[in-house]
This record gives sequence, structure tokens and C-alpha cells, in this order.
Amino acid sequence: MNEIMAIWADWLRPSAGLPTVQWSILLAVAAAVGHLVQRHTGVPKVVGYSITGALAGLAGFSGGAWPLDGIALFLLELGVSVVLFEAGGRLALRWLRHNPMVLVQSLAETALTALLVYHALRMFDVWWRVAEALALVAVAASPAVLSRVVMDTRASGPVTERALALTTLSTLYALTLVNARAGVMHRGTAELGETLFPVLVVLGVSFVVGAVLALVLRMALRFMSPTSENTSMLLIATIAAATAVGSHFGGSAPLAALLGGLILKQLNPRPWAWPRQLGTASSLLTMLMFVLVSVVAAKAPWNHAVIGLVAVMVLARAFAKIAGVSAATWGSGTNLTQAFWTGCTLSPMSSIALLLVSQYAATAPVLAAPITSIALPAILLMEVLGAMLATFALHRARETSLADAPEGPVAMREARG
Amino acid sequence: MGKPLPPAAADSLLPPPELERFRESRALSLGVELELQLVNTHDYDLAPYSAEMLRLMSKFELPGAVVPEMTSSMIEISTGVCDSAVQVQDELSAIRDALVKCADRLNIAVVGGGTHPFQQWHERRIYDKQRFRELHELYGYLSKQFTVFGQHVHVGCPDADAALLMLHRMSRFIPHFIALSASSPFVQGQDTQFDSARLNSVSAFPMSGRAPFCLTWDDFGRFFAKTTRTGVVKSMKDFYWDIRPKPEYGTIEIRVFDTPLTIARAAALAGFVQSLGAWFLEEQPFVPVEDDYMVYTYNRFQACRFGLDAVYVDPSTGLHVPLREHIVETLQRIAPFARAHGAAWGVQLLTEDAQRGINDAQWLRNVQAKERLLAEVVRQASLRLGGAH
Repeated sequence: MNEIMAIWADWLRPSAGLPTVQWSILLAVAAAVGHLVQRHTGVPKVVGYSITGALAGLAGFSGGAWPLDGIALFLLELGVSVVLFEAGGRLALRWLRHNPMVLVQSLAETALTALLVYHALRMFDVWWRVAEALALVAVAASPAVLSRVVMDTRASGPVTERALALTTLSTLYALTLVNARAGVMHRGTAELGETLFPVLVVLGVSFVVGAVLALVLRMALRFMSPTSENTSMLLIATIAAATAVGSHFGGSAPLAALLGGLILKQLNPRPWAWPRQLGTASSLLTMLMFVLVSVVAAKAPWNHAVIGLVAVMVLARAFAKIAGVSAATWGSGTNLTQAFWTGCTLSPMSSIALLLVSQYAATAPVLAAPITSIALPAILLMEVLGAMLATFALHRARETSLADAPEGPVAMREARG
Repeated sequence: MGKPLPPAAADSLLPPPELERFRESRALSLGVELELQLVNTHDYDLAPYSAEMLRLMSKFELPGAVVPEMTSSMIEISTGVCDSAVQVQDELSAIRDALVKCADRLNIAVVGGGTHPFQQWHERRIYDKQRFRELHELYGYLSKQFTVFGQHVHVGCPDADAALLMLHRMSRFIPHFIALSASSPFVQGQDTQFDSARLNSVSAFPMSGRAPFCLTWDDFGRFFAKTTRTGVVKSMKDFYWDIRPKPEYGTIEIRVFDTPLTIARAAALAGFVQSLGAWFLEEQPFVPVEDDYMVYTYNRFQACRFGLDAVYVDPSTGLHVPLREHIVETLQRIAPFARAHGAAWGVQLLTEDAQRGINDAQWLRNVQAKERLLAEVVRQASLRLGGAH
């Protein structure tokens, strides 16, 4: 791969630089593979994107340096911010007030995930600080993967809605905790006050940036239609500005976007018509995000010991998420079977997890190597497997567009004799 | 091994079903069914939540019943046997309040209206029940396009012959019912220019339209026997007529109403039907004849298309009059019967709306003209059903 790149570099001198050409071609291939994978196997397009990125990463594609920085980090943060803004805008606090068991389900699956992953890794002699970091990363389910799966399968229903809410909440917790924890890791043992203060700073700054974002959009919506193309452009541009500012002031850009969506939903209860308007621009950004994640994750050093630890982490996480959601089902408005499928849909890990690991890598260099060696393969694995599992779970819950399909045509053939 | 027989052929081997005996009921008693929409609170599209709603609703002690409908984004509520429109309103309000509570727990909303303004029929899912699966097999895509929402009003009749007489008398007022209840101007994201586009979906079914002109139960029995012998119809449930006799309840069932946007309007319409029935029973004002049906389809179309601005052709005189005027005259004519049955408030509400030319279709169009977003129209309609404004 590197030889091919070297030949290209001598032969081709494009105006926007060689990396732009390489990335453009990689994205074009990912788009085609995503389409073919969905058409011929029925699995979501995101699996095709991830496989393309992973193969490119394994082949030595030089476009995704680790740890992430510069434009790659910004694009990843922007993609995550757009997804999280929409996820936050879907989460009505009113629902949590009317049905607090949703919040209990969320807290149960989050706490159980952190505890089980931590203890499972400790059983295999992983250093406690590494185990703790991985446990916090494991908390975050992926709204990006789940929302793409929901879009591809045109899923809707109680499992879908709850899964989207729980992924959003788990992301909220993970972003807050990791930002705060990563900030004090280099200090050794920390007092309670020392631990809480960074949490408050991260939350406070992110909240302020998110609130400004929400207020700007609220003002815009007073005279702009949510179905207008220009409103969508204003939305993306404002999120991009908030993303650039959020981290700079000590907050978390994705967290600010999530809180921004959440606040806007409360200020403006009108229906959200933006996702349809965001259209291809948003889809391209999301695809770039998935390819980038898998390119980076595929570069992790793979060996037998790591494979075992990845398996331990993934299995403990899956079990904890399913058990946590199921344990708090009573009074939540859904039944145990639905809780099981909801737990399964929480399995994907992707861009958020990568950002969290990136944060550890940036702030705690000593821990970076052991954390990334386990987290990156786990992310790659659960971006692909998680998307497939989420699709399967939504289909079994009879919430995808395919739910009626097999019975209809077959029954009609039988009816005709 | 041969192919299995198609369902119709297999059924033809069975003896034809018999028409049920017309049961006794209190004359002019009322029963109301409302088909309601379940929508999500994100983009206000239809959402498949009927199973969860039924499960949560089963924990409430309520009058009447809550049952599933053809597709999983619909739910049907019904009152018990009521004496008056006030009781109808009380029972529907109690069920509505419980529905809203359950909907809040599931993060969805419940909405009235004859159609969902922008849902895509192909995205609907058939509710998992044997009869709905069979209907889906028979009617194909029509069953999913039947995701429309109506109000059915049952009115008790003294006996079977009186029921058929009342049925054909009521037929003259079908345009009145349609225009007053119309709440389905939008279909698949477009203004259809009909006030009640819902009834166009119903017309696609082979057994829809008007009931046969039989004035005695014996004649109706002979019609039923002939129809069932052909194997096309297996029970009274297979008739989707605008008004049909309901022998198991001892009632006639009027099915042309769109589901109104408010419980008060649903109860007022039931009061209108009851007052008309009282007028028929007490004064025997006219005898229906088969020729009444010569203008039936035209009047029905006019009411669906133009609502309260329609033209009404009087079946007995052939005179063309504004439907709105005929509605007001009719409501004034039956006012004494409405007072006697506690439905005066409902008749007054309908009279005022008819005079002002306002129905729910107009309300929906006004909101859309202001908001320019059909999803917002649905959101505001959900607040209206909940009693917010």
C-alpha cells in the first residue's frame, strides 16, 4: 500500500493535496461497498463502510494517524456532534418525567456495564487504571451506528425509540465521566473535590456552549422554516462553530452538541423535520466518520492476548447492557422480550468510543498504549458486529420495514394456489 | 400431493352462514366507537404502538373497551351502552384521559382526524391478529391504505324491521354526517381538496357503499342468504356499508363519520344521530323509497368534496339547496328531541359550526396555512384531542 502511495505522490500533484485524493477515492469505494453490502446481504450500509475502512487501515492506508489530531479530529468531532445534536433533540425530558423507569433502565445498564467490564478485565490482570478507563469507554453505546441502522431499516416502535434514548443517555454519561476522569488521571490519587471539580467544569462549559447553540437555533426558527434547506445549512454551520469552540474552552464539543439538541427540544416542542433536509451532506459526513473510525481502529496491534481481552470486554459489556435494561423493565411500559432486544441494540461501539479513547491518549500518555491496544480492536469489532446485531434485534422486535414483508408475498402466493 | 385449495374454494365446501337474530336493545340507546391515531413525538408520523397501548390500558378500570385495529398505529376505543350524548362524552373522556396517560409513558401522542396527513401507507404494519392477516391476504395493499380513522355510532332500535326503516331514513342525512365530521383533507402529504378524503379509501372495498333497499328483516335475510351462497361474504362483518344493521347489538351502525379532533364533537355527533332517531320514531316524518338512492352517491360525493359548502339534492323534491342550510334546518327541526334526550348542547355546537361554515377539516387547513408544516398540524391536533384547546 505504501509503495502505491509513493508512486502516486511522484506522479500526481493535485491542487488540494494527495491525502484529499486518497480520502475521496476511499469514500467513493466505501459508498459503493455500503450499497452493495446492503443490497445483496441486507445488512446495514454502515457495515460496508466499516469493512472498507478496516481493510484500508489493515493495508496501511496513511490517512488516519493515531492519536487523532488536526483536521481528522475536527471532522470526527463534527460528525459526532451532528449525530449527537439530533440524538439530544430526540430525547424529550417530558418522557423521563412521565416514565422515570426509562432513566432507571439507563442508569442500571450504565452502572452494570462499567462494573462488569472493570471486574472482568481485572480478573485477567489488567491494571486497574486501564480497566477503569476501558469500563468508562464501554458505557457509551453508539447513537451514530444505531441511527444509521434505524434509517436503513426504516425501523420505528417502542424498542427503536427506547434504544435511541438509552444510547443518547449512555453517551451523555460517558462523555461527562471520561472528560472529567481524563482530566485528573495524571494527578495520581485525587480527592473527591478534585474529581468533582473537573466534572462540573466540563458539564458547565459544555452546557453554556450547548445553550448558546440552542438559543441561536431557536431564534433562527422564529423566522425560518424547519423544512428549509437554508435552515439545515445554518444548523450544520452553527454546530461546526460550536464544535470548534467547545473543546477550546475546556468543555466537550460532542457533549455541548448533545446538550444543545436536548435544550432546543425543550424550548421548541415543534416537530423536527431537519433529518430529512440534512440529507446527503449529513450522510457523507457520517460515512466519513465510520470510515475514519475503522481506518484508525484497524491499525491497532493485534495479538492473541489482546484478542482474549477484547472478547472479555465485549462479552461483559453485551451481557451488562442486556441485563441492566432487563432488570429495570418492570413498570417501564415494555415487556422483557422487548427489553432483551433493546439491550442488544446497545451493543454498537464506534466514533464516540474512539473520541473517548483519543481523549485518554491525549491526556494520559502512560495509559494510552494499553488502553488503545484493547479499545481500538473492540471498537472495530463492535462497529461491524454491533450494527448487525442491532439490525437483527430490531427485525426480531418486528420494528423494521421488513417485518411484514416475508409473510405478505408468501401468503399471497398461497392464496392464489 | 396437490396444491392446497385457495381459501375461497375451501370455504365454499362449508354450509352458508345464517343471519344472526336481531337482538333486543333499548330504543335510542347509543354506543360510539372512535378509531384513533398513534404518533411519535419526534416527527409526529404514525408509530406502531397499539400492542403496548393495549397492554398499559388493560390496567385501567374503564367503561367500554379498547381494541386493536387493522394496522399497528391505530387503536379503537368504544363506549358501553349509553343513554345520552353526555354519557358518551363522559365515557369517551375517561378512556381518552387513560390513553393520554399511557401515551405519555410511551413517549407517543394520540390524535383524532380521519387521516394522518403525511403517513406513507406502505410503511404501515398489519396488527398481528388472525382476522387482520386474512384481510391483508385478501385485500393486499388496500388493507394498509385502510389506515384511516372513523367514528362509528350505534343507535338502538326497537326491533329488526324498525332498524331497517331507521337505516334507510338515516341515509338521507349521510351528507350531513360527512360534512359535520369531515377531518381528512390531507393524504400522503397533500391537500386532496376533499374535506373527507377518508371515504375514498373506504370506497375501494368491494362491499362498501349503501345497504340494499330492504325494509323488513325477512327481506334482508333473503338478501343475506343469496350473498353468502356465492361465498363472497361470510358474515355481516364483511359489509363495509355506510350504515349497516348490527343484529348482535340490536342497533344500526353509522360509519361515515371521520374521527373528529375532539371528544366533545364526537359526542355532539352521537347526540345528533340520537335526536334524528327520536324524531323518526316519534313522528314517522317520511317513508323512505328506493328512489331516494338516485341522488345518494351525488350527495355523498358533494359532502366529501366540499364539506359544509356542498350542494344537497333533496331526494324527495329534487331541489338543490346549500347543504349548510339544510343542516341548520334539520338541526332546528330536531332541537326539541335533542332537548328531551340531553343533546341540546351538542346540537347547538353543530348548528353554530354549520352556520359559520367551520368543521375540523377547515381547522386543519387553517393550522397548515399558518404553520406550513403538516407535522406541526398533527402535534396541535394531538393537543386538541387531549383537551388543551
